Amino acid sequence: MIATVIDAHSQPDTEGGADEPSRAFVDVAREQLDGLYGYCVRLTNDRTEAEDLVQDTLLRAMRAYPGLRDEKKVKSWLFMIATNGWHDLCRARGRTPATVSLDNGDPEDDFSLFATLTIEDPFPYSDELHLDFLRLFRDEDVQDVFARINPAFRAPLILTTIHGFSCKEAAAILDVPLGTLLSRLHRGRKQLERGMWEYAVKNGLVEVGDEP
Amino acid sequence: MIDCREAVRRMWAYLDNALERGPVEEFETHLEACQRCCGELEFSRHLRETAAAAAGSETMPDPLRRRIELLLEGGGLPTREGDTP
Repeated sequence: MIATVIDAHSQPDTEGGADEPSRAFVDVAREQLDGLYGYCVRLTNDRTEAEDLVQDTLLRAMRAYPGLRDEKKVKSWLFMIATNGWHDLCRARGRTPATVSLDNGDPEDDFSLFATLTIEDPFPYSDELHLDFLRLFRDEDVQDVFARINPAFRAPLILTTIHGFSCKEAAAILDVPLGTLLSRLHRGRKQLERGMWEYAVKNGLVEVGDEP
Repeated sequence: MIDCREAVRRMWAYLDNALERGPVEEFETHLEACQRCCGELEFSRHLRETAAAAAGSETMPDPLRRRIELLLEGGGLPTREGDTP
């Protein structure tokens, strides 16, 4: 249970406040439930872990809410708590969270799905080759591709592309400099593009002469 | 003037409004002269929308929502044993 992880941390707390969430907190938390759950699912790739992480996040947030100064930032604040909770859980389970060394060297940097589709031309009679390729993907196919993206690059992609955070906000949530965020975001996108192409080839969504 | 490689590197940052004014102007100048990159920008926009719609389509399951509601209402954190499948 994640609850054991929380207890190992000294969270800012208020006397007797942990089990009596304020009305204001309840209202703002309710608005974020689906988004927060969605973030946790994509972050963990595991629905059971995501459920634990959502609960853990709300428990932590409930305790810390009285100290939150800027109510307008409550969404990014909740996502930050979820991110930290996930990192704590990874550490507690002996997994290595994303590290800075991942920013070095990138053989996939220049992969372009657009260019690959143009060259491979899997739909020779299509007027909308590139869009037809995207139309092949069901939601679960895209989710499968997302799950295979390196977690260090996946998180920036989830925050900006799915949840609409600006790059600056995403950098703050992940506690990395903006330049690092932009670099990881770029690599996440490249992994998404490559992942979609490889998924399509592997699952027979497209037929090409020579597999890459 | 930036080349296609650099334009492609800036493409999603451009869509995210994450570029400074100077790099945006360079990028847009490149687009005016490059039909290929206009096509890739359009595709990137669609790819982004596809990814966001598919990967952002989660709704909290009802059993979890019930547990969270109890938590928010100050009833503490119930265990999963009480859930109906």
